[in-house]
Amino acid sequence: MNMLESIRVALEGIAANKLRSFLTTLGIVIGIAAVIAVVAVGQAGRALLMSEMEKVGTNIFAVMVNWRSGESFTGREFALQDAEIIKSRVPEVSHLSPLSSTVADVRGTRKNRSAQVFGASGDLVHIRKFNLKSGHFFSAEDDQGRRRVAVLDQELAEDLFGRADPVGQKLVIKNTPFLVVGVIAKGDSVLGFGESPKIYIPVQVWQYIFSPYVSYLEGSAASREQVDTALSQTIKVLERRHQAAGRYNGVSMEQQMQTANKVTGVMTLVISAIAGISLLVGGIGVMNIMLVSVTERTREIGIRMALGARRRDILVQFLIEAVVLCLLGGIIGMSLGIGGALLIAKLAKWPPLVSWWTVLVAFAFSAAIGVFFGILPANKAARLNPIEALRRD
Amino acid sequence: MIELKGLGKTYSQGVHPVVALENVTLSIGPGEFVAVMGPSGSGKSTLMNLLGCLDTATSGSYILDGVDVTRLGDGELAAVRNKKIGFVFQAFNLLPRMTALRNVELPMLYAGVTPGERRERALKALEVVGLAARVHHRPSQLSGGQVQRVAIARAMVNQPVILLADEPTGNLDSRSGGEIMSIFQELNRKGATIVLVTHEREIALHASRILHFRDGRLTDDEKNQAPHQAALISVPGPQPDSREVASP
Repeated sequence: MNMLESIRVALEGIAANKLRSFLTTLGIVIGIAAVIAVVAVGQAGRALLMSEMEKVGTNIFAVMVNWRSGESFTGREFALQDAEIIKSRVPEVSHLSPLSSTVADVRGTRKNRSAQVFGASGDLVHIRKFNLKSGHFFSAEDDQGRRRVAVLDQELAEDLFGRADPVGQKLVIKNTPFLVVGVIAKGDSVLGFGESPKIYIPVQVWQYIFSPYVSYLEGSAASREQVDTALSQTIKVLERRHQAAGRYNGVSMEQQMQTANKVTGVMTLVISAIAGISLLVGGIGVMNIMLVSVTERTREIGIRMALGARRRDILVQFLIEAVVLCLLGGIIGMSLGIGGALLIAKLAKWPPLVSWWTVLVAFAFSAAIGVFFGILPANKAARLNPIEALRRD
Repeated sequence: MIELKGLGKTYSQGVHPVVALENVTLSIGPGEFVAVMGPSGSGKSTLMNLLGCLDTATSGSYILDGVDVTRLGDGELAAVRNKKIGFVFQAFNLLPRMTALRNVELPMLYAGVTPGERRERALKALEVVGLAARVHHRPSQLSGGQVQRVAIARAMVNQPVILLADEPTGNLDSRSGGEIMSIFQELNRKGATIVLVTHEREIALHASRILHFRDGRLTDDEKNQAPHQAALISVPGPQPDSREVASP
């Protein structure tokens, strides 16, 4: 029989039992809606994470002590000169800064509070791509000259100095006065990178005030492609200089992004799979109602067979009915899922992201459910004996 | 047209096989109007199912329009039912959700006729049975006699070589029954071959030949020299009193 006619008959059957058809497809509706929403939210979240990480920089890397070696921290793992020496020997490394950090009390003109105090070289401004609201970052000369200058982030500046521009003001860190030379503008990060109050001072001053060690190195490669080489070469130089193979460990933003990508992907998959269980339940519901339909319409099947319908025609007709039922559920579920995803994106102020392939997959999947769960009832219908079917009421 | 040789049907349900039809040999020529009579259990329904290719014989041969249908498979039998046989049932057996027109289009659907031609032929067939004005009515909106006329239109629309009618007047009042018989006689005059199963002699007497069955055997082959002529009332044409109560 003609495909269009089968679809027409299916739609008429669905229209004749509206409530029943709706309840039957509810499982499919919920399943498809849930999967689409989860995938869309997952993708949006991932895209957001990636763009944030890209904002931080795809070419940056850090080298720290490999604690797995079981040795305790001595403070001699990094030397102050390491960064400059590595920069001169590894062409892939464009900037490299030693970093030390601690939490200390900081006093401004308005009040005092504790903040994270970083010791770094002038390279840090290039690595982190700091955007200065006012003033400037300290330079290599500031570091060499052990000048007591400080750069702080906007939030901390407002906290310590109020609305006035703090550049040129005095700041006291652990009883040592500093001159504020720059304020870092607040980033537009949604994920909260760089939210805790931070102060940057030249690393040599930091060592003088706090303790004579470097916690880790942070650097940037000339390009994203050169990060891996830059990182491995940096570690090689460090191992040679300190005669400590396996003592250093590196991590790059590139690796972090790949990991984050993988993690969010797996999470989306897992949640989708759970949501997909609803599809399974929905499919069983469709199978159930199709079996009822075959029983109810046994006589119709007998009539059609008497009029010349082959078993294949009957099979196809009931399969199409199951598929149409599932597709209707799929379309409703799709609209709900897309609506839900857009709503979540709006509430969370994320970019809306529903990819066309999700919709396509959902569509194909609901059709597949129809075929899979429709085959048993359709087969039952096709196997009926026409004489007995005609006798049935 | 129809050639039965030693046709038999045995049901092997349970321990004891049941012989429903035994050694039936007969032939029906083109243009004949044959009635099949017998009490219930006489095997006339079994014969009907075999003639209609709804069932297959367990012995003997059945040649329909030059083809031995006892050798055909499921799919080929469906094609034979579609193209060579028209059924008219006691219980009408129209699809209740469909209009008269779509019910009549149904056999052509399985024959692969194009939509335009389907519609045209269905309309013509409904006109022949006098229902041109009722093509968009559903069975529930028609009287029993009208429903059976739709069924006859459906049976004839693929121009079958044989029309099989199983107690076609059984669910109708005598007036509607008379209408149906007059349509059959009219179709027969135009050349249709008709086999009619009935247990009423009154109805059987409309045919020119009456086959009597008893206990699964053909017991008598009676020639009816002067068939009853059903009054040809208002067919074709609009029905002045069309709404009768349809029997269940």
